[in-house]
Amino acid sequence: MGVDTAALEKVLQPHKKTKSFSAYIKKYWFYYMLVLPGFLYIFIFRYVPMYGILISFKDYKVSKGIWKSPWVGLENFTTLFKIDGFYTVLGNTVLINIYNIVFGFVFIVFLAIMLNEISSIAIKRTIQTIIYLPNFVSWVVFAGLVIIFLNPEDGPVNKLIMALGGDSIYFLIEPGYFRTILVVSNILKSAGFATIIYLSSLAGIDPGLYESAIMDGANRLQKILYITLPRLYPTIAVLLMLEIANIFGSNFEQVFNLYNPLVYDKGDVISTYLYRVGFGGELPDRAFEISTALSTIFNIISLAAMYIANRFIKKLDVIGIF
Amino acid sequence: MTGYSSRGSLRSLLGFNFFDVFIYAFCILFAFLCFYPMWYVFIGSLSEASKFSTVSFNFLPSFPPTLKYYISIIGGGAFQRALSVSLFKTLFGAFASVVLTSMMAYAVTKVHIKGMKAINFYVIFTMFFSGGLVPTFILIRNLKLYDTIWALSLPLLMGVGNFVIMRSFFIYTIPQELEEAAAIDGANAVRMFFTIIVPISKPVIATVFLFEAVSQWNDWYTYLVYCESPELRPVVQVLRRLLTDPNAVKGNNIAILSRFGYLPPLPLKMTTIILAMLPIIIVYPFLQRYFVKGIMIGAVKG
Repeated sequence: MGVDTAALEKVLQPHKKTKSFSAYIKKYWFYYMLVLPGFLYIFIFRYVPMYGILISFKDYKVSKGIWKSPWVGLENFTTLFKIDGFYTVLGNTVLINIYNIVFGFVFIVFLAIMLNEISSIAIKRTIQTIIYLPNFVSWVVFAGLVIIFLNPEDGPVNKLIMALGGDSIYFLIEPGYFRTILVVSNILKSAGFATIIYLSSLAGIDPGLYESAIMDGANRLQKILYITLPRLYPTIAVLLMLEIANIFGSNFEQVFNLYNPLVYDKGDVISTYLYRVGFGGELPDRAFEISTALSTIFNIISLAAMYIANRFIKKLDVIGIF
Repeated sequence: MTGYSSRGSLRSLLGFNFFDVFIYAFCILFAFLCFYPMWYVFIGSLSEASKFSTVSFNFLPSFPPTLKYYISIIGGGAFQRALSVSLFKTLFGAFASVVLTSMMAYAVTKVHIKGMKAINFYVIFTMFFSGGLVPTFILIRNLKLYDTIWALSLPLLMGVGNFVIMRSFFIYTIPQELEEAAAIDGANAVRMFFTIIVPISKPVIATVFLFEAVSQWNDWYTYLVYCESPELRPVVQVLRRLLTDPNAVKGNNIAILSRFGYLPPLPLKMTTIILAMLPIIIVYPFLQRYFVKGIMIGAVKG
């Protein structure tokens, strides 16, 4: 019963430098195997399409494929910038995102703080459970709920309006209401997610802090402003940064399921426009190319924005962990 | 009593003050706003159409409640086809995602192995940059996956968020000592993975499975872009068509306005909404249970 020195060596020095490439692979083969399927999948479905970005610079002919299609330089981009709809769409996207940040983000922080102040744990949990549910529902469903709810004939909102003596309003076709509908429905659907993050951060506050604040004569408002809120600053900073970095991003699912041609002026965003241009037959000529050019521009902008945001967040990380 | 200033006299009298009332009212009102639309549609699906619309305020189903709308939809061929499509898409998609993602997330934590750091970046990069809609469409077509059931779930596998969550789990939650002890006991990498890592990761695996399943179930975008046969419509797509127009051209919602009269009756729409939401609601308690853990692990150090 000798000792298996080779195996023993392996165990005692797991990270011993191996000599050759093939020996290295042999040693760690299992981990490379683990990575392989995912690697292939991501390569095929995420990286290969990146090659298609070239279409932005070409006159794509299906028969010739991407590589052989003729180059047109920046022509697709200049055409894109000349289209009237482009600037409307751009403006809508940015504006709606700004509304979402100014109203939605602030509201949700406020909501989280309010929730935190609730003393009854049972009620707190129940409310959290309720508000988190819309997050998991598809926008098709949620938009359906909104549409039914705002129905001009028998939706509860209009019934309420009529009961109070007013005329029913067909909310969804009025351009003036559309952005409000987008922001409010977005809040209802995503509040749950953010509040959970905030509340778990607040759960870690030392109760002693509040007690000493009381002894110093702090009232409710002061306790919130000086203890609760500052605790959230790192989380707020990160989430806010991400939202700002996403300023050109647009929620296709939400807008697509809620909009109609009458509100395109106010509600059409980059992703829905991209889809209509690419597949909806709005542009007879160079639809694919222009659509691709559009997504290329915003992909690059998003990437840059995310990179910058990431640098900021990394800086905060050092400061934020007390 | 001690510690409360004189301004809180109402509080010492009643046990609460105006601020408390405001807080509770605010939160409860918001929760009500989130909940009521779903409840409204739920009771609407159980009510006689005529009775439902005429009532001013609906908080309960009409009396007596009826199941006829559910029966007519569930009995329909379109729904049954959509159900089997959605179920396959959801289960296959979630399963494949979990397998691929967990294997990759685990291997990537072994940073001492050459290439793992690069692979980590390789994965995360896709979160920020992609080819876009048209190139992906062309890819699907070139792979001969256009209008097949695979096109419904394949493009959505391996969400990066879940990758990060699993990776964080493997880094922070599984103690280093565990693997070292196993190595000393003579376990090789394969055995270690299957007999130790996987069983310990059950909560995370379950969470990610549920999240991916929910994404797959809710997704209709893949159908919209990559498919055209009616047989391949997932449940959500059936719902979408019902809500807009039976003869909808891809994505054109103008039908709502000009053809209001030709739309299916409201209760049918409501029933379909509830049916589309049903799996989510069933799975929700489990999601909730695991989610907070997942958030703590993934988001805090994300």
